[in-house]
Amino acid sequence: MNFDSRKYVFIIIFVLVGILYASKLFYMQVIDDSWKIRAQQIAEKRREITPPRAVVFDRTGKKIVANKTYYNLMMVEKNIKNLDTVAFAKLIGWSREEVRQRFFEIRKGEGRYYNRHTGKTTSNYQKIRPYPFIKELTAEEMVKIAARLEDFQGFYKEVTSMRNYPFGNGANILGYLSEVNQQEIDNDKFYKPGGHIGRSGIERFYEKEFRGVKGIKYIVTSALNNTVGSWENGKYDTTAVQAPPIKLGIDIELQAYGEKLLENKRGCIVAIEPSTGEILALVSSPNYDPNLLVGNRKIRENYPKLLANPDKPLFPRPLASAYMPGSTFKLLQSLIGLQEGVINNESGFPCNKSVVGCHNHPSAQNVTDAVKMSCNPYFYAVTRRIIQQGKKPSSEEDAEYGLGRWAKYMHSFGLGERLGTDITGLKAGNIPDPKYYDKWYGHHHWKFSTIRSISIGQGEVQLTPLHLANMAAIMANRGWYITPHFVKGFGKKGPREEYTIKHKTMVERRHFVPVVEGMRRVVYEAGGTARRARVEGVVVCGKTGTIENYRGPLKLRNHSAFIAFAPMNNPKIAISVFIENAGGGGGTWAAPIASLMIEQYTYGKVKPSPKEKRILDAVLLKKER
Amino acid sequence: MRKNQNIIGSFDWPLFIGYILLLLMGIGTVYSVAFDPEHPNLFDISEKYGKQIMWLGISLFLGLLVFLIDSDIYRKFSLPIYGFTLSLLIIVLFMPAVNGARAWLGIGSMGIQPAEFAKIGTAILLARYLSTANIKQQSRKTVLIANAIILVPMILILLQPDAGTFVVFTSFLFVLYREGVSYDPIIIPILNAIPIKGIHFKKTWIGTHFIPILFVVIFLSVTTLLLSNSTINIETLGIEIAGYWGVFFFLAIISVAGYFFMRMIFSRRDRKRAAIIAIIGFVLSVMLTSVVDLGFQKLAGHQKERIELVLGLRQDPNGDDYNRNRAMAAVGSGGLLGKGYRNATVSSVQTNHVPESETDFIFCPFAEEWGFAGSLILVFLYLFMILRIVVIAERQKSSFNRIYAYSVAMILFYHFAINIGMNIEFAPVIGIPLPFFSYGGSSMMSFSMMMFILLKLDSQRKDVLN
Repeated sequence: MNFDSRKYVFIIIFVLVGILYASKLFYMQVIDDSWKIRAQQIAEKRREITPPRAVVFDRTGKKIVANKTYYNLMMVEKNIKNLDTVAFAKLIGWSREEVRQRFFEIRKGEGRYYNRHTGKTTSNYQKIRPYPFIKELTAEEMVKIAARLEDFQGFYKEVTSMRNYPFGNGANILGYLSEVNQQEIDNDKFYKPGGHIGRSGIERFYEKEFRGVKGIKYIVTSALNNTVGSWENGKYDTTAVQAPPIKLGIDIELQAYGEKLLENKRGCIVAIEPSTGEILALVSSPNYDPNLLVGNRKIRENYPKLLANPDKPLFPRPLASAYMPGSTFKLLQSLIGLQEGVINNESGFPCNKSVVGCHNHPSAQNVTDAVKMSCNPYFYAVTRRIIQQGKKPSSEEDAEYGLGRWAKYMHSFGLGERLGTDITGLKAGNIPDPKYYDKWYGHHHWKFSTIRSISIGQGEVQLTPLHLANMAAIMANRGWYITPHFVKGFGKKGPREEYTIKHKTMVERRHFVPVVEGMRRVVYEAGGTARRARVEGVVVCGKTGTIENYRGPLKLRNHSAFIAFAPMNNPKIAISVFIENAGGGGGTWAAPIASLMIEQYTYGKVKPSPKEKRILDAVLLKKER
Repeated sequence: MRKNQNIIGSFDWPLFIGYILLLLMGIGTVYSVAFDPEHPNLFDISEKYGKQIMWLGISLFLGLLVFLIDSDIYRKFSLPIYGFTLSLLIIVLFMPAVNGARAWLGIGSMGIQPAEFAKIGTAILLARYLSTANIKQQSRKTVLIANAIILVPMILILLQPDAGTFVVFTSFLFVLYREGVSYDPIIIPILNAIPIKGIHFKKTWIGTHFIPILFVVIFLSVTTLLLSNSTINIETLGIEIAGYWGVFFFLAIISVAGYFFMRMIFSRRDRKRAAIIAIIGFVLSVMLTSVVDLGFQKLAGHQKERIELVLGLRQDPNGDDYNRNRAMAAVGSGGLLGKGYRNATVSSVQTNHVPESETDFIFCPFAEEWGFAGSLILVFLYLFMILRIVVIAERQKSSFNRIYAYSVAMILFYHFAINIGMNIEFAPVIGIPLPFFSYGGSSMMSFSMMMFILLKLDSQRKDVLN
């Protein structure tokens, strides 16, 4: 039998398979693009390089925020071979159990991501990917480990950069960084899991100015995620650019001195350069060393402690704590009274203690002396004239008109609104206007006698220490201010435009003259309330405030407040000091602290004196009553 | 002198040139894949390309030896040669295991794989047995002995275990088919054992065409499972075919293509039969595939899962399907003209995304670097080689030569189809080398010897009388 024709079976099979294979190859290689995308996923990696964040200098050119090199101990599980757990645990100074636990943690938790479509959190942990075994080791810690790291396959070190604060001051100004959350990653492509973002302070406010420009490197990676080479010889690569250094108006020495003065006290100091609005110091006490909140490990360790501290060191009091301003407010009442024409420089009012309590002093015969003696009945009378100007038929309508005008004046001083300073967490405080009282008492159901406590800065008036300092700056400038701000320049560029604009108050310059003279007398004349505020060689103008405060029926110790500027002519510094529950009056604690700050700023140092020792030794923290 | 002239004159240059071309392309690809910048010399013996060239030299030397020896020796000593290769297969089972298989004889990189050479021994003995004068293709003895010659080395190879080469040995079954060995002597007694009155089989269509039918059934079943569980999506034409309709579509195309092909090769008289065969084939295969499809849907969950995993229907790009997924990405990313020589990003040894990219998965870097253009040339070259061997086989006067040639064609075809098929989801991932291409001494030497024996037999075809 002849089976020659069977050769066709073979030929048909061969040719069919050939055609089939060629078609499939054509489909895969030429038509279908999905394999090209898959290949890109596999081999080409976009590696983003985050530059170190911008460094920060103070006004004198001292570096106050720097970057420091840290190391992550990385692991790739697939590369780990015959791990001697005992030796490894010994090397990194952990227990075996901790090492085991950490492996478990990484496998469970790392690479976890939130799937927007399914709404589930899943882990895409992969044995071939690198994960940090220990994050943020210091150079000293790494040196010990690195010496023997070669013995442990699958582990290697990776360099990262983190913040470092050489001075350890100004934590509430500078803020801290922490890892980005999923929402931030979703909203801004800049951030990748494990990246950092400014969480508070100027780091948060100027996040975009701090973070710089990311570099992108396209690389070809191996199956074990090691870099094999650059993609297309780096044709598409871009370099990472660090943001230009940021210069602050802060004088770090002054800041540090202020923090030292307020040790063991609850309170704040805000100092501003009146001519520029630059904040020279912003002290919140108690506070903390910003180095405590650098990196995940430290944040996890220290943040809960700081949060649990009853004195709230994380709370930026100068910005976010609104207090009644007390007698410091009398400056504004006299200015508004003069501008409104309801009083003049020579107006005198008797010190009638039946209206409102006062201390013992002769009746003031003019505005200047009234300021010096801080006469309560005098300013009660002035404010009454401002509120009840007699221009409307009924006293209620009249009060509505008067208070409306009064509130407008106050707003022109930046009070009762957020000041627009370049930091987050600002409070507006409160300047009551007619609407405010309408809500409380009903429309036309209130008049001056109802709301009279505002005349001496008590009652519903609430200001932050930043407002107070700005008020001092307005006094120094005799009628205008630039919004207080921290950043005076980015590299070669100046501050943001909004921080170069002069805001004029509604009070003319001439009316400031008698009031400022009153402020001088507060410090330098017999009968003034703040003779402790004197500084050698500089004329200080100031105003005390003593704030009575109650918790329910319980009378607590007075708050001590003082605002000042110096020198009287061509002022260099305007300052507000507010000490909570200090006891005594504004002249007792706040005024000497302000004077020490002015001395420090003027001379760059403070001569040791009994005054300084008294402040440094004082412990006012635990006493509220 | 007369004999020498005869050899050169009847030497099959096209096959030889194809062989040399594939070798050169193979070495080029190994050089690209395994390139080490610290040892850029192509002939550096410490690198894989240097070694591959060394193997090439040894192979050509072996080829020369083959040419110096009279071709009659293979026929005469077929049993000792077969026995020798079998003994190597037995010895290797006592060797230490490398990567879980006892496949290597010798030390380290200089070892050989006896399974590669067993193919030659089996091909020679099979040719010798089936070319025996007066052999009865219809006898039970013939079927059993022929199958035994194939089965013994297969079992030994399975013991190593080496699934890839085991599968390749089934290629010899097609050689039996070509020689007319019928499975009727085995099938008829089984059929007649079923007592149906008045029916007594003497000759069955199934027994006669047992091997191709078996493979067509397997092929169609696998295709059914693959196609009915996936969606064919041709975006450019906006066509999307899902489920069993994919199988139907596929069968229709095959039938129409088969019809035109049969028209081409059939004589004018038989052309009507082409249409009938195509239609009957289509109807039968639709019946078969729908039964397979229904059966598969009825399977229990875990059984289904197992089959799906083996067929690669369940994709787990980072798990069990890792190799194939990477390989397909490498091939698919090649595009029309490829990424350029030595520019493979997925499948180079440095990146190592495709394991074994210089041996079993060497098609990946080639296809990635040369794109569809290169892939097509390679497919054509292999197809040309295989068809050329069929042409050579058919011109032999000696049935020994013909059977041997068919064995070579089928082995080559199996290696080609499975190796490239692994990369394009047409074959399961089993490790067998791409002939003349993959890095490795054993496969290069065995394929070269196989080729040179064929060339030698062919060049002396006029001297042989039987």
